[in-house]
Amino acid sequence: MAYEEVKVKKPLSLILLPILSVLTFFVVWELMVQLDVVPKTMLAAPTQVGSLFVTKLSDPNPDGATIFIHAWVSAQEAFIGYLLALGIGLPLGLFMGWFGVVRGIARPLFELIRPIPPIAWIPLTIFWFGIGLGGKVFIIWLGGVVPCVINAFVGVRMTNPTLIQMARTYGASDWQIFKTLCVPSALPMVFGALQIALACCWTNLVGAELLAADQGLGYLITMGRRLALPDLVVLGMVSVGLAGAAIGVLIDYVERRLLAGIRR
Amino acid sequence: MADIQETIQDLGRQGSSIADEIQQTVRDKKPLTIRRIVTNEYLLHVLSMTAFLLVWHQAAVSGLFAGALATPWQVVERFQGLMTDTLAGLTIWGHIWASTQRIFIGFVLASALAIPLGLFMALNPYVDAIVKPVFDIFKPMPPIAWISISILWFGIGEPSKIFIIVIGTFVPCLLNSYNGMRLIEPELYDVVKVLGGGRWNEIIQVSFPASFPAIFAGLQISLSMAWTCVLAAELVASRSGLGFIIVQGMKISDTSLVIGGMIIIAIVAWLSSLLIAGLEKYLCPWKRDIAGL
Repeated sequence: MAYEEVKVKKPLSLILLPILSVLTFFVVWELMVQLDVVPKTMLAAPTQVGSLFVTKLSDPNPDGATIFIHAWVSAQEAFIGYLLALGIGLPLGLFMGWFGVVRGIARPLFELIRPIPPIAWIPLTIFWFGIGLGGKVFIIWLGGVVPCVINAFVGVRMTNPTLIQMARTYGASDWQIFKTLCVPSALPMVFGALQIALACCWTNLVGAELLAADQGLGYLITMGRRLALPDLVVLGMVSVGLAGAAIGVLIDYVERRLLAGIRR
Repeated sequence: MADIQETIQDLGRQGSSIADEIQQTVRDKKPLTIRRIVTNEYLLHVLSMTAFLLVWHQAAVSGLFAGALATPWQVVERFQGLMTDTLAGLTIWGHIWASTQRIFIGFVLASALAIPLGLFMALNPYVDAIVKPVFDIFKPMPPIAWISISILWFGIGEPSKIFIIVIGTFVPCLLNSYNGMRLIEPELYDVVKVLGGGRWNEIIQVSFPASFPAIFAGLQISLSMAWTCVLAAELVASRSGLGFIIVQGMKISDTSLVIGGMIIIAIVAWLSSLLIAGLEKYLCPWKRDIAGL
């Protein structure tokens, strides 16, 4: 190697500050509630949320299910929607990037759907699918499919034109170029889409459950509001956040394993 | 030889890569065949839109969706009516204005807070060490999950909707300005150093301009997030706005109102993103577009 990696020792304050800031955050939050700076009807202290979480592990009251069932229902919906979004969005985006005919047909429809926030589809899906699994999966799918198509499309469009010209010179067919040049060169973007689509799916899941659900983490939040129980609301928000972060880490790990040999 | 050099200079002046231009000219020289007419993208655009509208019309007329689908024409008629008639005291323009106003306030507030904070975090490791961990706690929480708590805090009026928009737009704005600033090529800083500039020159002449494209990308994401948030907030509780139109349509089972509302949202959201793109082109004209490749 031409240069060696220099290990810079972090100053101690830079290691301590993050821990301190998180601690301060929680302490201030706790004190604000305990000292009645914020009314108890508006915000629950972290300790309350923690104890409620422990109770909710086994107690289905007051919203009708334990936290695991809520989480399981949400995860199921999100997962089906996400996989469908990947399965349809990625190939569509790849084809749209390379084949002019596919682009010509799909692009105007896609451009029409793209700016509509998936949340706006909720009323129509309730008409069409009711409030069951199907409707929510549809909303989640809509949220995930858009970033999948865009990323796969851009990935193909970013293929080095010199390589394509070279392949043409050697007499490669359109399909061969697509298969051996465009798809591999789009892979990093495609994997980027996995993360983005997951975040979109998760956001839309909460949206879908806010309006039409009888189980799930989003429903937990809504019930908390209806019953005016801030600890339930905060618990729901925290679980949604934690679950989202956990899935994010998982995808990141998978991505790193799969992309090990590909230069970013 | 002189010819080639002139051509290259010409191409350089047009601002795109030479490889593109050559590809372009080759493409233009292809003879006009029936195959080329049939596979023309614009013709296909028109065809697919027409087919879409026809299928939609047929599906609506034949009652495929249990009657819960208005024909395209019904939607147009409904909204022509709404231009002069009122729904809950406002014409369609009033509702559009209500939503846009909320987005505008929330968007400006959030970007005014998030962009400087992100830049500051990227510039100063201590600010980074303090703010980043707390921000990381909030980052994975979908903004829509905040709706319930914002209703508990602010009631169902304007402030709660603006709060949601601020929450939703804050995260992508901050992330992008932070990453945009951190991913600047170090060579650019070296140039400033070689030319004898100090830290301040680095920040003003390299950091800011170089992070603009990333910031604008963040603004675009924020904007679409803002539309999602405002809709979700309006769907849950409101008396005006485009989300209210949709919810009203759902309550009275008027699908033409629902679909029309969705289309108007699409148009307004698209226009607003064009506005940001225009601003970006004006503020950072050096940015190259990958769409041309």
